[in-house]
Amino acid sequence: MKTLVKIKPKDYNIGDIVKIDFMAMHPMESGMRKDKDTGAIVPAHYINEVNFFFNDKMLTKMVTWESLSVNPVLSISMKVSAAGTLKVLAKDNKGESVETSAAITPKG
Amino acid sequence: MERRSFLKGFGAVSACVALVPTIASAADDAKKVTGPNEMSVESALAAITGGKPVTPSSKVSLSAPEIAENGAVVPVKVTVESPMSANDYVKAIHVFGSKNNNSRCANVYLTPANGEASFATRIKLGATQDVLAVVEMSNGTFLSAKQNVKVTIGGCG
Repeated sequence: MKTLVKIKPKDYNIGDIVKIDFMAMHPMESGMRKDKDTGAIVPAHYINEVNFFFNDKMLTKMVTWESLSVNPVLSISMKVSAAGTLKVLAKDNKGESVETSAAITPKG
Repeated sequence: MERRSFLKGFGAVSACVALVPTIASAADDAKKVTGPNEMSVESALAAITGGKPVTPSSKVSLSAPEIAENGAVVPVKVTVESPMSANDYVKAIHVFGSKNNNSRCANVYLTPANGEASFATRIKLGATQDVLAVVEMSNGTFLSAKQNVKVTIGGCG
């Protein structure tokens, strides 16, 4: 699972609200699709948990299901309170987990 | 007499017509593949709200396209008017596709540190249906917003 965290806009000050985009490369199989060649049902494989932490404090917790699109993008907001690290932990139903982080560097 | 027999005949015909679709849908049900997390929107809602009332509110804004050409990628954005202070904030945003096999799309649990109650993603919709956003406020009330999305090609191949 490849993941990416983007902070928008690029320049922000303390007190500003920034947008956080979490992107993952994931098939998000619903467990209902049939393989075109074999006709067998492709087993479900989807991201079921995404947790956002800022300086190791829980920011947002998400429980996601197979109804998210392939290669999902999850966007939330955050009020910048200090400089620090934003960490995103994502897990899928097969037990694979990925940690991604981004630096929060306010100008003022 | 004629009128009576006509009505009888008409009644029999309409009964047949009424039966046909039920047989057809039963056959469809047998063919239908059920997903691993199948859950209707009613039971998913009941599990979240615990039977508390959910009131439609203009504070919740749900933006989704009215017509989605491709059901596999339907952008959905939910924003809630809230000060996001320690005492008054949005606890959770839940997004549902009312007719999907598993109606649950995402359960997002926010904190006051979010500063703004917003959540955006892209979801799969199997057919034309209502997208429903249910928001849990910090005082325990539930607000909602919904929008019908017409899907021309289903997204659950």
